[in-house]
Parts: sequence; C-alpha cells; structure tokens
Amino acid sequence: MELAWSAADAAFRDEVCSFLDEKLTPELRRAGRLATSVYSDHEASMEWQRILQERGWAAPAWPVEYGGCDWTPTQHYIFVRESILAGAPALSPMGIKMVAHAIIAYGTPAQKDYFLPGILNGDVFFCQGYSEPESGSDLASLSMAAVGDGDDLVVTGSKIWTTHATEANWMFALVRTSRTGRKQQGITFLLIDMTSPGIEIRPLVMTSGEEVQNQVFFDEVRVPTTNVLGRIDDGWTVAKYLLVFERGGAAAAPALQVMAERVADAAAHQPGPAGGTLADDPSFSSRLADARIRTEVLEILEYRTLAALSEGRDPGPSSSMLKILGTELSQRLTQLTLEAAGPRGRAYQPHVTAPGGPIADFVAPTDGYLSGDDWQAVAPLRYFNDRAGSIYAGSNEIQRNILAKAALGL
Amino acid sequence: MDFSLSKEQELLRDSVTKYLEARYDLARSRKVATIGDGWQPEVWRAFADDLGILAATLPEDVGGIGGGPVELMVIAEALGHALVVEPFVDAVVLGGGLLGRAGGGRARSVLEAIGAGEAVTALAAAEPTSGPVLHDVATTARRDGDGWLLDGSKIVVSSAPLATHLLVTARTAGDRLDTDGISLFLVDFDVHSPPDGVTAHPYRTIDDRRAADLEFSGLRLPADALVGEVDRAWPSLALAIDTATTAVAAEGVGAMRKVLADTVEYCKQREQFGQPIGHFQVLQHRMVDMFMELEQAVSAVYLAVLHLDAADTERARAVSAAKATIGRAARFIGQNAVQLHGGMGMTEELAVGHYFKRLTAIEYEYGTAEQHIARYAELTR
Repeated sequence: MELAWSAADAAFRDEVCSFLDEKLTPELRRAGRLATSVYSDHEASMEWQRILQERGWAAPAWPVEYGGCDWTPTQHYIFVRESILAGAPALSPMGIKMVAHAIIAYGTPAQKDYFLPGILNGDVFFCQGYSEPESGSDLASLSMAAVGDGDDLVVTGSKIWTTHATEANWMFALVRTSRTGRKQQGITFLLIDMTSPGIEIRPLVMTSGEEVQNQVFFDEVRVPTTNVLGRIDDGWTVAKYLLVFERGGAAAAPALQVMAERVADAAAHQPGPAGGTLADDPSFSSRLADARIRTEVLEILEYRTLAALSEGRDPGPSSSMLKILGTELSQRLTQLTLEAAGPRGRAYQPHVTAPGGPIADFVAPTDGYLSGDDWQAVAPLRYFNDRAGSIYAGSNEIQRNILAKAALGL
Repeated sequence: MDFSLSKEQELLRDSVTKYLEARYDLARSRKVATIGDGWQPEVWRAFADDLGILAATLPEDVGGIGGGPVELMVIAEALGHALVVEPFVDAVVLGGGLLGRAGGGRARSVLEAIGAGEAVTALAAAEPTSGPVLHDVATTARRDGDGWLLDGSKIVVSSAPLATHLLVTARTAGDRLDTDGISLFLVDFDVHSPPDGVTAHPYRTIDDRRAADLEFSGLRLPADALVGEVDRAWPSLALAIDTATTAVAAEGVGAMRKVLADTVEYCKQREQFGQPIGHFQVLQHRMVDMFMELEQAVSAVYLAVLHLDAADTERARAVSAAKATIGRAARFIGQNAVQLHGGMGMTEELAVGHYFKRLTAIEYEYGTAEQHIARYAELTR
C-alpha cells in the first residue's frame, strides 16, 4: 500500500500545473471561482475548451484516434484535480463528456466525422433531451413521439430540464418510436438539429434566478433517419452506456476540498456568535471539520476506485456510491458556506457572480455596489443550484435502488 | 497510488481469517467471556505458536517479524470479523509499541514474552478526572531512594484482569495537563494477588471483555520500572494511542463487515407480508446507507494506516479523521443492524447482538466521533 503518486505521476502533475499557470487568465479563473453551479459561464467555458484543445487536452478521455489522450486513470484524476485547484472553469459536460462517448461507440463513420471534430472545436454544442414532464426517474416511460415518414422521423412532444438549450445547436434525445413490448424497447436515440423548424424553447427560471434549464417543445420536427444513433427502437442500449459517463469519473473530492478550504478561510474572518470569529464557534467548526473529514475519506474512496480501474479490475457499483456521497457532501458544504456568509448571504447580488446563464428580471445597481465580498454573493446561488445534485443524473434514491441490487444483491 | 496488499500481506490475511473461521468458536468465546476467565489462554498461545500474529508487528531483534501499519490493519480487521476478545491491542499494539520504543533490558524481555504469548500488558492511563484526555495525569511517581513511589487512581484499565504487566502513566513533573513531565512505569501484575500498594477492582465490560479500576497507594517500584526517559513519555504514548486507535478502527471494520453481511442475509430470509423484507425499498435504502458507511470506514482506516509513520500532526489529523468516521459508522451500522433484525437483534441468540455490543464499545474507545472531530478542527485551524 502506498499513498504517494509515482515519480511519473508527479512529473505529469508538474506538467499540468505549469500549463494551468500559463494559460488560465484572471478572467477564466474568475469564472471558475465565481461559478454558481456545476455549469460555468458559457463564454468562459467555451474559451477554456478552445485553449485546452490547442494543447490536445479538451477531451482527454476520448480514444487517441479521435483526439483523446493516452492517459492512465491516475493521470485523468490528476488533470481534473489540478484544474479545479487552479480555478479553471468547468467544461460543458453534455458534448465532450457524454454524447461523444456514445457517438464513438455507436456512431456511423459519417456521424463520427461530422460530430466529433465539431464537438472538439466548439462548432457543435449539444444539449441533452432525456427527461420529460411526465418522465423523470422513470425515464423509460418517456413518450415524445418520433414517427417514420420517408427518410425522416417526425418528432412531436416535449423535453424538460434541458441545460443550455438556447446556447446549443444540437440535442441528443431519447424518443418513442414504438409502443409495443417493454417500455425500454421502442426508444430511439436521436441527434436533433436545434435550428430545425418546429422547435420552441421556454427557459425555466431557477430559484437562483438563472435561466440555465429549459423546456423544449417539438411540433412535427423533421429529423433525417441518418441522425439515429445506434438502431431504431434500440436507444435504451445507447442511453444505458452513456449513463456510466453521466455519473462521471470519480473526481468529486478535489472540488469539495477547494470548497471546504474556502469556507474555512471565510470562517476565520467572519464574525461569530460569541464575539470571536465564526471559526471560534464550536458548533460551526465541528460541522466544518466533519465535512472536511468526509471529504478526506471520499478522496481515499475515489483513489480506491481509481486503483481498481488502473489494475483493470471492475470497480463495481462504485459510480452510484460516489455520486451519492459526492453530491450529499457538496450540499453539506454549500449549506455551510451560506451559513458562513452571514446576514449578507441574504442579499441577492448575481451581478458580481459568474452564473451559468442569463439572470431573469434583475436590474444591477448602476454603481456596481456589492454588499460584502463576492463569495457572499455566490453563496446563496450555489446553495440553491446545488439542491440539484441529489436530483440530476439519476436521483440519489434511484442510485440507492441500483446499489441495493448491484452491491447487496437485494 | 496503490491500495493492494503485497503477497505476504495477503497470505497473512488469508491465514488469520481461515484459522479464525475454523477454530474460533463464537459460542465458546462468549461463554468464557461471560462466566469464565474472560479469555481462552490456549487460543492466545495458538495466536503465538500457530499463527505468529503476536510477533508479527514486533521488532525483529526481539523475535518479531517487523510488520508495519498495513500488517497491523490486516490482523486487527480479521480479529474484529471473528469478534475475538483476546487482548491483542492492549498487549501487542500498546505494550509492543511502548516497550519497543523504550528500549532497555526489561522492556526487551517483556517484548519477547509478548511475542511468544507469555506476557500480556495493560495500559493504565485513564483516571477518574481525566475524561478522554490521557495527558491529564494526576497519579504521581516520586523518587524513593533508587526507586519510585506511586500514588493515584486509574479507571477502566482494559485487560488488566488478564495482564502479567501493567504500564502505568504517572506525573513526575509539571502540572496536571502538561504533556511534559509524564513518565511510564512497568509493574509486574497478577489480578489474583496484586502487589502491595495496589488495590484492583476487576469487572466485565459491556462488550464482554475484562477491565479493572486500580488504586495505587505508596506502590514501591525499583529503578528499572521506569520505561524510557523520565518526564518524556508523552510522545511515545501519543503514538501508541494513535496506533491503538487505528487498530481498533480496523477491528471495527471487520466487525461491521460481518454485521452488514448478516443483516443483508437476514433480510433476504425473513418474510413478512408474503415476501422477504429485503424487498421493501425503505429497508433496501437503509442497508445501502450502511454499505456506504462501511465503505467510508474502510477508506478511513486506509487514511490512518498510511499516515501512522507521518509527522505527529499529520498522523493525529488522519487518525482523528478515521476514528470520527469509524465512530459514526459503528453507531449507524450497529443500531440499524439491530433494527433490521427486529426483536431478534436485541437478544444474544444471534451473532448480531454480540457484535452490536462490541461496536458500541468501539464508538467510545480512544475517543468518540465528536471528540475526534474537535481534535481534527483544532489541527486544521
């Protein structure tokens, strides 16, 4: 047993760090630091993707032949960790981290040739069309209809919780092509051009005031059958394959560490309830220490998964466990941060943050006034947005169902 | 980054596990634990002679094998899984660690005897007024010619009723809470005929082990009873206590693995409302939460084990993170194992009841989760 990085890993980390030092501009770091959710400011995110692409690091998890990196699982982890520690904005997950993997596995040569380079250079920006108003956790019950008509499928229905639908020019969607048999059968995985006639987008204003999520309406939208990924009626196979990527590589701990360090730093400067600082308050410091301990332990748990992957072993159902633990811990930390923000945490000041989308119905003060520090303005927005962690990508209740079956054989 | 065991470590784990599965009978162990002598001396001899685990982590120059924290973890986890009550942590971890670092002829001979299964030590550190703060030492040792005179009270001295030797902390200088001025003394002991100047009140603990309260009034000790340097025992004690905490945490992981497996199995068998109760989602989710607590506990033990040789502060921080996690997991898994077993979980009919008692003790041994969270907070300020 050995906790240290190998010499080769340490050298790789140095290489990543010097790249980040050189390329992360103050504006990009600001977008990373003042992000209000897992989605960074769209422009900053795309700019960072462009810089990474110049270095060949925009899509490291892809196979090398499509522009990925020949990295070990440990190197991937180091890259994620150092990027977060340096304050890099997050890349949009939908294209590079999600649908691209399905295109690589199931796409035709023409689909690969068109979409993969486009995703890499930012010309193609995907949103995800899975959930529907009546199909959330029970995703396979989805009903948005796609009816064959010549060389096209004609799509009618609605998708919801579509992140960045207005920014996107493509959507990967699950549609209903057949209603016979099990509900998992008859689903087709479809790539839809968002500029097609018949698409209407209605932004959903979130509790943070951001317009990041949307409901998208389809009224007889024609999609050529050449945009089917995989086989017609067999989209569930593709979706299941993708879910593994959606739940993510196991690297939540670095972001949580940064959050915890920032709360600790804030607590040392904020007034506490008994005259000293918040860090002097036994209740607050105990809950912060508890969260930091959980983060240290989660890091080891992620390393264990990583070690299993590195040795070519199946890490088992750990992606579900890491999703639950990571999101619940994040919620604990965003809650502590809001508490640390004190009375100023109640001031709604999105103008000094770097939100993931436009802010609805808000007039910024003309003099740019800010009550307190910028992190105090971010804290409530992060708290609101972070409630999504235990809901998205398969709610934590669904993850527990999966674990009951896969880990305990129940 | 490597969490694999070496070939030798795997062999050690497999041999201890198999041996205990075949030879360590829970019913017999419980019987001697409750109405017998509290342990099975022949099992202890077999640990030395057949398994070699008593010498596995002792230095090679006293006949040990020189194993480190990983070997310690592997052994302690296997002992926890089989609910072994014999005094491994008291003798091998605390006694072995303290005597091994002290050096000297007497320490050396007792160390050899520990490895051979002939000596058992018990650390007398906690006092009526110390709470969990083991450097709060009011017991005194005064010079008396060449030797020492010991006065004071020690409470809940684990394994004292089984011990051949006591290791007693006493203040030789400074004020009650000072870490400087604490010295450690080695005392020959037999609970049935304690030396003059020692009164022993032995009892059974809630987890069916043995402990005693001890009173020292003018206990006369020879010069060579002093272990290590006078006034300077604390750094070694702190390391010994952190190591013992880690061992108990690993033992807890072994016990929790067994309890969770039993609980899952029980919920697959037990039928109510016409189906196995394990089909009910609310129980499934409870067991998944137990599973996640266990996996965090495993990771927490790694964290401690891989920092035991680190600098003092780093080591203390990792051990506190581990014990806080273990304490929380032991409570959650223990209480929910009982809940899911229903009334049967409250009895001594099934293994779960016995393991629950041990897990409850583990929550409190070497500091509660709350105390370790507070220490971690202090160390990370």
